[in-house]
Amino acid sequence: MIKVNGLSHSYNKDGKYAVKDVSFEVKEGEVFGFLGPSGAGKSTTQNILTGLLKLQEGEVTVAGYDVKHIKNEMFNRIGMSFEQSNVYSKMTAKENLDFYRKLFDVETKEPQFLLDLVGLGDKGNIKAGEFSKGMKHRLTFARSMINNPTLWFLDEPTTGLDPSIAADIKDIIKAENKKGVTVFLTTHNMYIADELCDRVAFIVDGDIKLIDSPKNLKMQYGDKLVEVEYIKDGETINESLSTIEENDKKKLQDIIGQSDIQTMHTKEATLEEIFIKGTGRGLI
Amino acid sequence: MLKKMFTIFRRDAKVNTREFLTAYIMLAPVIFAIAINLIAPGINDTTVNLALVKGDDEQMVAYLEDFAKVDVFKDVAALEKRVGRRDDVFAIVPDGDDYYVLQQGNEVEGLEQYATMMLTFYQEGMRIEDSTAIIHSFDRTVPPLKKLLVNIFMMFSAIMGGMLIAINIIEEKEDRTIRAINLTPISRTAYIFAKSVIGITLPLYGSVVLVVFTGFRGIDWGQMMVLIVVSTLISILVGFTEGLKNETVMDAAGSVKMLFLPMAGAVAVAEMVGEKWQWVAYWVPFYWTYKGVDSVLTYNANWGTTLLYALFVVIISIVAYLILMPGIRKGLE
Ligand SMILES: Nc1ncnc2c1ncn2[C@@H]1O[C@H](COP(=O)(O)OP(=O)(O)OP(=O)(O)O)[C@@H](O)[C@H]1O
Ligand SMILES: [Mg+2]
Repeated sequence: MIKVNGLSHSYNKDGKYAVKDVSFEVKEGEVFGFLGPSGAGKSTTQNILTGLLKLQEGEVTVAGYDVKHIKNEMFNRIGMSFEQSNVYSKMTAKENLDFYRKLFDVETKEPQFLLDLVGLGDKGNIKAGEFSKGMKHRLTFARSMINNPTLWFLDEPTTGLDPSIAADIKDIIKAENKKGVTVFLTTHNMYIADELCDRVAFIVDGDIKLIDSPKNLKMQYGDKLVEVEYIKDGETINESLSTIEENDKKKLQDIIGQSDIQTMHTKEATLEEIFIKGTGRGLI
Repeated sequence: MLKKMFTIFRRDAKVNTREFLTAYIMLAPVIFAIAINLIAPGINDTTVNLALVKGDDEQMVAYLEDFAKVDVFKDVAALEKRVGRRDDVFAIVPDGDDYYVLQQGNEVEGLEQYATMMLTFYQEGMRIEDSTAIIHSFDRTVPPLKKLLVNIFMMFSAIMGGMLIAINIIEEKEDRTIRAINLTPISRTAYIFAKSVIGITLPLYGSVVLVVFTGFRGIDWGQMMVLIVVSTLISILVGFTEGLKNETVMDAAGSVKMLFLPMAGAVAVAEMVGEKWQWVAYWVPFYWTYKGVDSVLTYNANWGTTLLYALFVVIISIVAYLILMPGIRKGLE
């Protein structure tokens, strides 16, 4: 669905690259996570894929279209939800969707259906300018699926939403993916990535460090950990210890033998910990 | 693609009716027209309406028709009734062998002398051919102030159209919606054209309102439209440029307003400066629009000069487009 080969981008063409020699592939029907800290080049890459930024170097094919010479009809097949919501504040939610759907050549979804889907069913006649941040975000999200895209770009789709709405959005993404929609998901949020993505790419400083499924990454990088809380010399101590490393194993045995253990449980490494291990960088 | 462009235009127009400033701009031509009628009333001031008794003196009717609008009535009573109505009509009433001028008393000053004079001229047997006066200008049958105001306010409407464009661009910038539009099948060129439509429709509707409300209905509408449409080119361009350059509606409107300066300058040159110095305003597209519209409003324009003036405007605008267009395309990315 997406093929990227040797993609580089320099905003000021001054030899400083926001994205450098990036290559990856997104298969039809998968949810592909694009993860990385702020300034890593996620938006830059996504904007090149959607034609918002001009392709400078490399070969990019999106939904079968060569991005070097974008054909306008490509936009009938893709949808994009922006990180910063962008709707007409002087128009109602319904007018926003009504207007937008008329710009496509393909069959579009009913505005009321979409509003119901994202929990704005009874807010259709309110001007978007009077919406809260989360409501605007949901409207932007709803708009991105109005043309029944086969390739769906989502930039931080759940950021800033309250947990129950975020859960709804996740369910919508899962349902669309089940219907065959390919999803390109950009996020900081490792929990969402872990939950939704078939594969993730870790990008740092314009460079992809790792691409694999969350499960494989955990097997590869995630040691099994044990968290223990124990009392030693009247002090409560918390510690995370590996069950593989020799030093940690020995220490664990000592603690069990000599201390008063309060709690102890095993823990799987999170995607976040793997990210730090795999890239040597934090996520913020 | 045309349908999508119309969708974009309709959205702009709809949103513009919702805000005070933009709704006011859309209503401006109507307000201008009313103002002109208050400041410079009666387009037909210098044409006298005369009423005569039917069959009285065919020769006199024929003579007077060269100078005034003549209506005939069946008898003196009908004449008197006609004069008694609100508008300015003078009756020429037979009185034995002679005639006298009958008026209601509320007519515009000076007209009555004009009526009397014509009657005298006829009785003296004077012909136009007898006149020794050299006629400098025929175009003064239209009140100059009114014509000037209508002309200027038409160009105002064109500039206002540019202002609406700027305001609509700022709206898209503030709401960051251009990015969303860029992800639809509409091409950037089509989008720019669609956003320009309001810059043409407002001046067109504005000039129709002005012409109709102020009584210039008999003009050549085709020539009028050509001149108005070409005069919008420059304000559309400035509207886009300022819309992209500025961050707030007020700043943008203020910058577009700067167009009033060259416009006023061009009018001043055309009206008050000698032939020798006219060239100083040649670079201002409004100069040519003004001259063209002026001829149209005095009913003595011809297609040759109208198209020539329009061509000058187009050429100047194209030069401006070549300079500013790359910036506009880039600004919309
Ligand atoms: N318009 C621009 N002009 C110049 N440099 C830019 C521009 N946009 C982004 N950059 C630079 O390019 C690099 C990558 O930025 P990008 O926006 O792609 O990061 P990101 O991964 O999307 O970050 P975030 O998570 O904060 O959205 C950064 O160093 C940034 O400073
Ligand atoms: Mg970003």
